[in-house]
Amino acid sequence: MNEITELLSEMSDIAQNPDMRLAACLAEGRKAVGVFPYYVPEEIAYAAGFVPFGIWGMQGSVREAGRYFPAFYCTVARMGLELALSGKIDKLSAVIMPSVCDTLRPFSQNFKSARPDIPMVFLAHPQNRKEDFGIAYTVCEYRRVKAELEGIAGVKITDESLADAICVYNENRAARREFVRLAGLYPSTVSALRRAEVLKSAYFMDKSEHTRLLLRINAALCALPHDPQPGVKVVTSGIIADNANLLDIFDRYGITVAADDVAHESRSFRVDTPIKSGDPLTALARQFSEQSDDPLLYEPDLDRRGRRLVDLVLNCGARGVIFIMMQFCDPEELDYPNIKKTLDRASVPSVMIGYDQQMRDFGQAGTSLEAFSDMLRTRLQ
Amino acid sequence: MSENKQARTVLREIVDSVYRRAWEAKERGEPVGWSSSKFPAEIAETLGLAVCYPENQAAAIAAKHGGQRMCEYAESMGFSNDICAYARISLAYADGAPCEEKPVPQPDFLLCCNNICNCMTKWYENIARMRGIPLIMVDIPFNNTVDVPDERVAYVRAQFEAAITKLETISGKKWDNKRFDEVCANANRSAAAWLKACAYCAVKPSPLSGFDLFNHMANIVTARCKPETAAAFEQLAAEYEQSVKSGESTWHYDENYRIMFEGIPCWPVLGSLFKPLKDSGANTTAVVYAPAFGFVYNGIDEMARAYCKAPNSVCIEAGVAWREDLCRENGVDGILVHYNRSCKPWSGYMFEMERRWRERLGVPVVGFDGDQADPRNFSEAQYQTRVEGLVELMAAANAANSAQ
Amino acid sequence: MFVLGTDIGSTTSKCVIIDETGEIKGKGLAPGGAGSDGPYKALDMALAEARIAQKSLSRTISTGYGRNLVDKKDGTLSELVCHALGAHALFPDTRTVIDIGGQDAKILRVGEKGRLESFVMNDKCAAGTGRFLENISRALNVRIEDMTAFAELAENKIDISSTCAVFAESEIVSQLAHGANKNDVFSAVFRSVASRAASLANRIGVMRDTVMTGGVAKNEGVRKALEEELNVRIYVSPLAQYAGALGAAVYALEPLTNDRGKIQ
Repeated sequence: MNEITELLSEMSDIAQNPDMRLAACLAEGRKAVGVFPYYVPEEIAYAAGFVPFGIWGMQGSVREAGRYFPAFYCTVARMGLELALSGKIDKLSAVIMPSVCDTLRPFSQNFKSARPDIPMVFLAHPQNRKEDFGIAYTVCEYRRVKAELEGIAGVKITDESLADAICVYNENRAARREFVRLAGLYPSTVSALRRAEVLKSAYFMDKSEHTRLLLRINAALCALPHDPQPGVKVVTSGIIADNANLLDIFDRYGITVAADDVAHESRSFRVDTPIKSGDPLTALARQFSEQSDDPLLYEPDLDRRGRRLVDLVLNCGARGVIFIMMQFCDPEELDYPNIKKTLDRASVPSVMIGYDQQMRDFGQAGTSLEAFSDMLRTRLQ
Repeated sequence: MSENKQARTVLREIVDSVYRRAWEAKERGEPVGWSSSKFPAEIAETLGLAVCYPENQAAAIAAKHGGQRMCEYAESMGFSNDICAYARISLAYADGAPCEEKPVPQPDFLLCCNNICNCMTKWYENIARMRGIPLIMVDIPFNNTVDVPDERVAYVRAQFEAAITKLETISGKKWDNKRFDEVCANANRSAAAWLKACAYCAVKPSPLSGFDLFNHMANIVTARCKPETAAAFEQLAAEYEQSVKSGESTWHYDENYRIMFEGIPCWPVLGSLFKPLKDSGANTTAVVYAPAFGFVYNGIDEMARAYCKAPNSVCIEAGVAWREDLCRENGVDGILVHYNRSCKPWSGYMFEMERRWRERLGVPVVGFDGDQADPRNFSEAQYQTRVEGLVELMAAANAANSAQ
Repeated sequence: MFVLGTDIGSTTSKCVIIDETGEIKGKGLAPGGAGSDGPYKALDMALAEARIAQKSLSRTISTGYGRNLVDKKDGTLSELVCHALGAHALFPDTRTVIDIGGQDAKILRVGEKGRLESFVMNDKCAAGTGRFLENISRALNVRIEDMTAFAELAENKIDISSTCAVFAESEIVSQLAHGANKNDVFSAVFRSVASRAASLANRIGVMRDTVMTGGVAKNEGVRKALEEELNVRIYVSPLAQYAGALGAAVYALEPLTNDRGKIQ
């Protein structure tokens, strides 16, 4: 028990102090690149010797970024730019910037205007990613990303180093998936906040190091007896759900996250890279082609996401879904009515909480979540 | 008889005929498509498929004051009021919301191209799901460089080919390269004539009110592959030429100032937009739609490359250059920027563009908050104050210039 | 047998006592929420009306913002669940509850036994809540009750179109400055609130019977506008303010009349 508490608190520390982590990493003589959401093949940067640092905005107020973005943009982008403008990412060797949504498009342009001194490796994923021509195009994009990172790092990325990086990432993804499962079983040990912090810490660590810690946590959790207070199990869905005030509400009302459909969490480690398929860049492109169940991606199988969300709920024994709706995220907002309808049809209760990273008052979220928790409990009587 | 018709009448009739043909096709039991405005229209036209344009429909509904009602309907369906108002209107219509402002036949297939925005993708997925119809997706990734890389052109071209195969099945017709060449020739002729007509904004005083171009844009969106459109734009250019000679203009007010209007107009409140401009004699002589839709190409690879360049798919350097050229060519004194709640990819880098314009063009730039189709996101009071501010700045600049 | 439900808000306290048949025997409402003497005053009023002593209460359930701060309770239950139970107790055929308060608007879907089945709350925007009415009332220096009286005399239908509360305020001021009839403008203000609430309600679907609770329920102007928007009759009980406390009381009674477990 003590070991788990210590490990959890160590990871919580990492999750809360990315600045210190970056400083420590540079002090060790390593270089770091910033990675903006979504679906960046970090393995390429890792193979070039970089420690990839995820940049998913931060909590606080938008100040400087207001010179670039009007107010009606999601805070993941606005706060990401705020970090760039407030000197927090000056020590990064470069950033990798995808462009999969309508906010990331102008974000990329604002970033390079605001910080021309930080190399920006641009990445335009395909939406028609499953067809051969889509995979071929992804390989071209990844090859360019690789060449740019090689130039910045001053090293050549070999197929072997890339294959090794893929293994490191696959192992980490597997460990995170297992942790998510276990966290849902032991909420008294892993609070909603701790769970999020453990997952978040992966963004500020060498993944092999993260895996090492995580495997210890997972093993210790496996050894625990059944949790006497399993709470009301739910699935969370949204872009990001790492706010301590919000997650405290989960813990306060006995809500256990049994699984998630959150971009910052499980959506980012659901799919492994098939290592057997020869060329590692092609393997990474195939991994992207396998991504689905995400409003940011075009989905030719129109009912798939709703169906899979219902499956996720049923498979993890959850009783409801909590949508943490990122304000101004139009892909999420456009997908929501159908997903809600699909859940309703399957008699899966759900509730939506509006969220952004500038939010300070969680009173209404508290009212909603408490009622939802009570509703799920009274529903069973 | 048609000889006597003014070009703008002819242009309006052509757009009407696009929708009329769609209704006729529907009645004959032929499939009717809905297409995004910058999906390669050449493809459906070559296969003789009738197509409607939801963005154009939404703009028409909004201009006839149905925007708020339709948006509220979509909000009742669960769609957030932060979503693009065109999308909300279109989703409401596809769900069967009563709408007399601009009825169009419900779709049997969808042509989606995200070069203008990614909102398109989820919007069309929703309609495909609601109506149980096929969706043909052409994905055009955002460009961070002025030049489009060859591998991206290859990706887009491969999607054109996949789209053609799917549309052959939907239409039951075989692809005909000769017909395709003809259609492309028409599209190119329309584009060239559109650019020629738009170029008359450069004349001082301008023979046209720049807001006219917003109306004529319907043609370049919905009917650019039709020879009638090309002919009508050529006629429009000829009329402008005549107006220049006779000193006439569709702008019936003083032309004290010449401005660029940046963004899509607020269709529900066109009168409100227009009023302070005409009162102060500020004619719009530059709109970015001219270069955005006036592209000419040769062959399918060049066509793929051309469709990679939409207002919201080009990098800031290209975006600034488009406007800079426009402003210089058309002698602009100031810029009015619409911060459009409906259009994230467009409005998202405008603050930086503003700075670059100020620096490079030395003209005042003023922004206002609005929406292309939801009147609830526009404040007339704020707009008037902003325009007054712009006019004062332009007046001060003019005074300083004449003092020198 | 008597049970008590208390609803301790931030500014008022409400108490309802019911007997084993569910009949209301006593009620009390007093200004002052948690930490004030409001809860005690409300309780004394309810006990006096029921003509019983506090020791006769078999069970107490608390709800509302300050529910955790009251002592002598057997359990707490969240507001929304209580409002659903309370509305059901007032109108047994209730399926939809529209609760528009000062800060937020909530739409509840209620099951046959008064169970909360699903709900939706307003987004962060103030338009569509009581706050919007208060802002307008302050900006124009007209009391909300007077706005209702003026609105009844409206002759023309004009629209306040702005979604944003700030924009709407300037729109209203400018409408009045341009000579619009104030009766018409006030009527439009109520319709604007109703239209936002209706949009929220449509998101989970309005089923009959529809009941309105919360502070704005007393506002005839909004209620009528909402009836028009939703095309349903909306019931309002004179006891609407007690819905939360009544729901808590109903919940307090449940384990005493059947085997259901209680919520702590």
